[in-house]
Amino acid sequence: MHSSCEVTLRRVPGAVVLEMQGEIDSSAAIPLQAAYDDAVNALTGELVQRVVLDFTAVDYINSTGIAVIVGILAQARAARRVVAASGLSSHYRQIFDITRLSDFIQMYADVDDAIATTAPSA
Amino acid sequence: MTAPQADGTAEVLATFAVASEPGNERIALRAVATAAADCGLSADQLERLKTAVAEATMNAIEHGNDNRPEVPVDIAVLRTVDAVAVTITDRGGDRAEHADKEIPDLELKLRGEQRPRGWGLFLVQSMVDDMEVSTHDGLHTVRLTMRTDGSIRAEGAHDAQQL
Repeated sequence: MHSSCEVTLRRVPGAVVLEMQGEIDSSAAIPLQAAYDDAVNALTGELVQRVVLDFTAVDYINSTGIAVIVGILAQARAARRVVAASGLSSHYRQIFDITRLSDFIQMYADVDDAIATTAPSA
Repeated sequence: MTAPQADGTAEVLATFAVASEPGNERIALRAVATAAADCGLSADQLERLKTAVAEATMNAIEHGNDNRPEVPVDIAVLRTVDAVAVTITDRGGDRAEHADKEIPDLELKLRGEQRPRGWGLFLVQSMVDDMEVSTHDGLHTVRLTMRTDGSIRAEGAHDAQQL
């Protein structure tokens, strides 16, 4: 299935940011899973393994996309990795609250906030 | 076109159909957003209505019409004196509502005790002020209502910047 979701991996101190672009629906499963696997590899050896899902450039999330995010979150939690989200619009933030994803994902207004929280203190 | 009346008569703002192909819910939500743009909904309400329409249309395409492109999903946008309503009709008849009837529980999903999917109907019900389901002559209609008097949903009071 063709996906309109593209995911770019960005390594920052203490975390990996998955910068998503486009639409998060069921077709996002393949690119998001691939990016998550790459993130896990990039985090090898880190004491705290933190994955930031950046939604700044995402313009549509549906229920099947929520399921994809649930799948990634389940994998991360099973491996004791921390998941954060940034850049959600207030509407999708509301959906993360309704579904309770925000109970299990650290929420930040933007990716800079998420990264600042991640950065090791001097 | 009939103007909305105090007795509840609705004004039909738009009627259209989409083919039952995955992804066509985007067409539906855009058309509904255009039709309902000047009906007194807040930006937050309009976003919630769009999400509900998209999810209900996905259900109609997949569960009502079995993803058969030749079978249309019919959509109407209506306005009454105090609400905007959207009807979404498929040819699924009096079907048992599919597994979305299962109330999604994120903790169970994270433990693998519930499938990751199953959020659709839950989202529809969470987004609108009212949802009614009816069946007639093989047609299955979901009616979504968003009130415009501003007194129903506390969270509707804050207009939000949306994508």
